Amino acid sequence: MGTFVLAFMASLKADPLERPFRVYFDQLNPAAWIAAARLGQEGAGDALWGGLSPGAEVGFSVTYAAPAGTKIVEPKAEIPRRRPGSGIAAALMRHYAADYASIALKNSSSAMMQVRDEEGGLQARQTRTFVYEITYRTDREDRPWIERTPLNLTAPPSQTLAESPISPSRSERRGRLLSWDNITPGVLGLIFNNYRRVINETADLETGKSLFGSWLVNSFAIAAGRLVLTLVVASLGGYALARLEFRGSRFIFAALLFSMTIPAQVTFVSNYLIFRDLSLLNTPWSVIVVLVASANVLLMKQFFEGFPREIEEAAIVDGASRFQVFWKIVLPNAKPALLVNAILAFQGAWNDFFWPLVLITSPPEALTVQVGLLSLRRSYGGAQGDWGLVLAGAFISIVPVLILFVLFQRHIVSTELTRGTA
Amino acid sequence: MARARSEERSGWLFILPFMVSMALFFVYAIVRTAYYSFTDFDLFKTPSFVGLSNYTALVSDELFLTALRNTIGFSLIVTTVQTALALALAVLVNHAVRARGPVRTVFYLPSIMSSAAMTLIFLWLFQRDGFMTAIVSIVLAYLRHILLFLVGVAAVQGALVLNARRRYEGVSIFDPFFLLVAAASALALVVACALAGLLPVFDNDLRISWLNTQQRFLFMPVTLWSVALMNVFTTVPTLMLLFLAGLQSIPNALYDAAEIDGANAFQRFRHITVPALRPVTFAVVTMGIIGTLQMFDQVAVLGDAAPLASRATLAYYVYENAFPAGASSRIGMASAAALVLGILTIAVVYVQKSVGVKERAE
Repeated sequence: MGTFVLAFMASLKADPLERPFRVYFDQLNPAAWIAAARLGQEGAGDALWGGLSPGAEVGFSVTYAAPAGTKIVEPKAEIPRRRPGSGIAAALMRHYAADYASIALKNSSSAMMQVRDEEGGLQARQTRTFVYEITYRTDREDRPWIERTPLNLTAPPSQTLAESPISPSRSERRGRLLSWDNITPGVLGLIFNNYRRVINETADLETGKSLFGSWLVNSFAIAAGRLVLTLVVASLGGYALARLEFRGSRFIFAALLFSMTIPAQVTFVSNYLIFRDLSLLNTPWSVIVVLVASANVLLMKQFFEGFPREIEEAAIVDGASRFQVFWKIVLPNAKPALLVNAILAFQGAWNDFFWPLVLITSPPEALTVQVGLLSLRRSYGGAQGDWGLVLAGAFISIVPVLILFVLFQRHIVSTELTRGTA
Repeated sequence: MARARSEERSGWLFILPFMVSMALFFVYAIVRTAYYSFTDFDLFKTPSFVGLSNYTALVSDELFLTALRNTIGFSLIVTTVQTALALALAVLVNHAVRARGPVRTVFYLPSIMSSAAMTLIFLWLFQRDGFMTAIVSIVLAYLRHILLFLVGVAAVQGALVLNARRRYEGVSIFDPFFLLVAAASALALVVACALAGLLPVFDNDLRISWLNTQQRFLFMPVTLWSVALMNVFTTVPTLMLLFLAGLQSIPNALYDAAEIDGANAFQRFRHITVPALRPVTFAVVTMGIIGTLQMFDQVAVLGDAAPLASRATLAYYVYENAFPAGASSRIGMASAAALVLGILTIAVVYVQKSVGVKERAE
């Protein structure tokens, strides 16, 4: 549990691998949220997601501190042509704030302040606050909305940053060069920057469509298909095994138990070839159909066995056919078991990794979320070490199952327990 | 007679969808795998019969032997550790916790997550300059503080318990009140020593390779030990819930009777709890074996973040041979290895069923 909380906190950070690991940072700091909302409002009239759009006038104030006797000089400010993040984001970025925004010092004021030094003790230092104004230039023809506004401040090493509305993303050259990735983030843009990046930066270069978005859609389609198919197969099969006497039923039951112990790796070559021959590879259909719902059949069988026989027999005496009994009497009373099976089927299909990996390999937008996570790890978790994006992807991918769990936890937990002890 | 025949027919009709999927995707697939294991086949040309040569090639393939060793080691370690830990935790929690609903929810959470997302989170934890490394470096830096604290706790606790036992009977070694006092005084001792400058802090800048390493520890690569740690961590809570459910079905009267007869805590555990939990233990061990033998997702998500030999398991070996990166697939080899994996699974489950933990409580 603690691990998840920790990892979730890290998924909000600009750099989840920072050392030493801080548990308190801008994304968790309400004061920074308020500042980010104001900056987003000033930048693009959007306090939530921020940006920089025509007509913007953003006031950004920084306070530097220095030991008594040292003169605090004005830091050199520039809006750099910096690309956000890594990988494909660079190719997708069309408009740079550097081309459209100008920055100027508006005013500055000196004061004495209690400032924390390196050891954490409070010390009276002289400080000076510089207020910069970033404006969207009016002399430009096309006036696009720009997602983020980076900022660099260069100051002598003798003066240190004491206050800024949002903390700098990086500090280089022993604090001389402070850089912000985005000074107009908006409150959600500040907190969930990595999450926005997962959606935006995993885009297809040609269509510009978000890959992560289509992975989510694919996963939903597959999980829904599996759910329906599982319910049909499991309720029919479970009823037959529980109630109907026919030759071979014991053998089928034995095969069912047996199939639950055999790993998918044993059967996948043949199944791969079946779908290749049907030209269903790389379609959601292959992953939906490749299904041996043994566990679900078993679960339904156990439920039907506990169902009173007398009602069914009465209906049969009245002349109902087996299917009528099943459809009109048994199924409407099996709602709890069907619900459990539906949840388990959805969860199983959503979390499935192996079959989508084997059956869907291209194009990139055809993958499911779980396999997509692997490609995220490959493109961002390697040498780039852009773990913020990878972790954010992982957390988005668990949201549907998490919602399901919160809604139906009573059902899920109790069935898993009885299934385990059965 | 007519009714029996109609029931026979409707039985087959009802089971038909399941039978189709079972026959096509399971039975036929296994038969075909067995057939391919005797052929040379690369997914495109027609398979040609080569007899047992795939199997002989397997036995002389260094990577296959490594994968086999890795799989067995991993399965052994994870199944044992997770079962023991889950049982221990369940016994502890069973006495301590009254509000079981919320506990169940929290403990169940890890098991609903996909292995891919889980593996990514752990990969992040196990980065060279990640959180695990940070913890280890903190422990190393404050090693003396920690040692002094532990020694202090043991000493104070021992003194308190001995002192109490001189006067009363039956003070437990882990008496909670004494433990609290011992921890507080040991902490005070450590803080005092640290402030007096007696305990230096070591500066270190560790970078530990948890994953990307060829190193081995005991019989398994370090990489797999890391994966095993993650697996244990994510399965123990769920298995603990299974044990907890089992524990609650044991009547308290048994324990009371045993206590009157003079059985101590360990004897009660050994002769009441363990036998009564046999069915649960059987289920847990079986599930553990089946799950660990086919461990694949974690290794696949790990991908090129670790050397192949350090992370190869049988299941991954099968996949890797069927879809090798930058080479034509060796379906024959993959099928042969897949059969070995299947047979291994069945054999282990069968052995554990007949000689290991018994299915029924005695």
